[in-house]
Amino acid sequence: MNRTPVVSTDVAEIGYDAATMTLEVAFHKGGVYQYFDVPEIVYHEFMGADSKGKFLNANIKKNYRYVKL
Amino acid sequence: MPNRPTYLGTVQDVQGASISVALDKDTVSGLAFIDGHGYRIGQIGSFVRISIGFTDLFGIVSQVGAGAVPEALLKAEPYGYRWMKVQLIGEGQRAGEFKRGISQYPTIGDEAHLVTEQDLTRIYGRADAPNSVRVGSLASSESIPALIDIDRLVTRHSAVVGTTGAGKSTTVANLLASLSDPARYPSARIIILDIHGEYHTALRDRATIFRVNANEAQGERPLCVPYWALSFDELLRVTPFRELKDADRAALVEKVKQLKLASIQAQARNGVTADTMTVDTPIPFSIHRLWYELHRYVCSTHTAQSANQSDATEAIEQDDHGQLILGNIMGVNSPRYRPITQGGPNRVYLSGAPLNIRRQILAMESLLRDTRYDFLFRPGPWCPNAEFENLDAQPAQDLDGLLKSWVGGDKPITILDLSGIPVSILMDLIGVLIRLLFDALFWARHLPEGGRTRPLLFVLEEAHAYLNAGNEGAASIAARRVVKEGRKYGIGAMIVSQRPAEIDPTILSQCGTMFAMRLANASDRSHVTNTVSDNLEGLFNMLPALRTGEAIIVGEAVQLPLRAMIDTPARNRRPDSHDPKIYDPDSVGGWNRPKQVENYMKVVESWRSENPKRGNNPGGQP
Repeated sequence: MNRTPVVSTDVAEIGYDAATMTLEVAFHKGGVYQYFDVPEIVYHEFMGADSKGKFLNANIKKNYRYVKL
Repeated sequence: MPNRPTYLGTVQDVQGASISVALDKDTVSGLAFIDGHGYRIGQIGSFVRISIGFTDLFGIVSQVGAGAVPEALLKAEPYGYRWMKVQLIGEGQRAGEFKRGISQYPTIGDEAHLVTEQDLTRIYGRADAPNSVRVGSLASSESIPALIDIDRLVTRHSAVVGTTGAGKSTTVANLLASLSDPARYPSARIIILDIHGEYHTALRDRATIFRVNANEAQGERPLCVPYWALSFDELLRVTPFRELKDADRAALVEKVKQLKLASIQAQARNGVTADTMTVDTPIPFSIHRLWYELHRYVCSTHTAQSANQSDATEAIEQDDHGQLILGNIMGVNSPRYRPITQGGPNRVYLSGAPLNIRRQILAMESLLRDTRYDFLFRPGPWCPNAEFENLDAQPAQDLDGLLKSWVGGDKPITILDLSGIPVSILMDLIGVLIRLLFDALFWARHLPEGGRTRPLLFVLEEAHAYLNAGNEGAASIAARRVVKEGRKYGIGAMIVSQRPAEIDPTILSQCGTMFAMRLANASDRSHVTNTVSDNLEGLFNMLPALRTGEAIIVGEAVQLPLRAMIDTPARNRRPDSHDPKIYDPDSVGGWNRPKQVENYMKVVESWRSENPKRGNNPGGQP
């Protein structure tokens, strides 16, 4: 999956695959996580959010199942 | 030459198996009479006999007139109407048997003769030979039967091609009726994959019919294809789990293996042990249970964080009586989970399952509920009915019953009517059916039930729909395997199609015998011509001009390429594929009949139930 670099203190890169509804997040401190069944709109909101770290904690982490790659 | 009425002319040019004959001046009149029969001279597709010593060479006329003049003579004879090009095919000793291939070539000056009915009888053999069946009569002389060698027809595969309306289904019905003649071949074994349900009427008394929505009062039997007999890949292709990532796929393999293992522990099956079992071994397991357990694994919520989750931490809702809402397995009802919360003392967490297959599981739920798929996922006596009290329930029957009903029944022909099967899985399902039967007969090759002892003929109707070139579908793969390897294991294929150009050339070229009916389309024609091994292009140029019911038969099952008029079956034995009549003078045509009261409620009923016979009023019109 292609990830786009973003400006954030925690999050380094964000990628999204619409076919499998998978959101992929790479962190500065290492580690890539995939979040499942994430609607595309959430990805767009995430990309548009002022603070990526805050958005991730508030809207993604607890709402979607994930796996650490 | 009144004393030698069969004399045509002399050989003037020999080029490999293709020779040119200069017609004698006296024979160009066009008609010759021998023993009271009239023969037309120089008909394309007719035979020529060339005598050289004690041997007769036989050839087919492929070109007559100006174009047939040898190139070197073009200048000297620009109006070369007296020439004829002949393709040599075989030879016969005087009064001996006819053989394909030639041991010596004719030379300049050898005489070419008309082939009389007497000669033809010698070439084509006699009707009483036990391994040959009659399919019709020669187009050129009706008194001579067109005979087919069934040994080669079955094991070397065959193809029946022709435009819609050229008489394909009739030819197939006719061939099958001859092959299944109980007096001659009591152990014939034929399976028809009938996509449009055309062959019921034609072969009713010889065939067992399996179909979805079977009319059991009329002797039809329900078509069941137990999903657990499919290999893992085949199973994935007919379910929403088609495109899985490696990690998810591996997890699914593991899960199916677990269920199959539990199944053989509950009931041992001969031939397989826990150690030799693979995920592809045809062992019953419950797909409903697979769905249910995956659902509980992936879609559940828990009262603990992912690291501490277990069955005991599942957050399942309770109904008004305090009972857990667990849903049920065979009814395909999922348990109801409490929604996740973001905090608080009784916080509910998402399942920690690392599988990205939630959407596929939900799609599977509706698939398992879809009654159109019941033939596959609830296959009657082959369906293991797993319930909470009895998770390892075993189906009432094992695969032997299924195989016996398909290839070991009382009747020689089995029709698998696929007209009620959802189009989206039709191709994969055809592949599965061929593969299942191939595997069964392949592994049984040393047993009396196997294909070597009792060969099986597959009839693949409308083959262009699922055997097209470049198609890597299950049907193509399975059919390719049958045509390539089937011969050794006694499994033959008869491929029937109106668009030969769309069929995979590897499949078509493996067909040893070709029944070519009328073909107007140029690409279809060249495709057929290319796959035929004989040097018979001239013969195949006739394809667009063949009459309905007329076929050019070339290949291994016939001594010589022949042009035959296929016998017309009796009215009650014709396949149900004739076109609707628009105008019929007896006023039963579609558009000239008096207007009738129509009931579209029945149309809707038939449509909804996907059963063309359902709306029929039993007391009404036939």
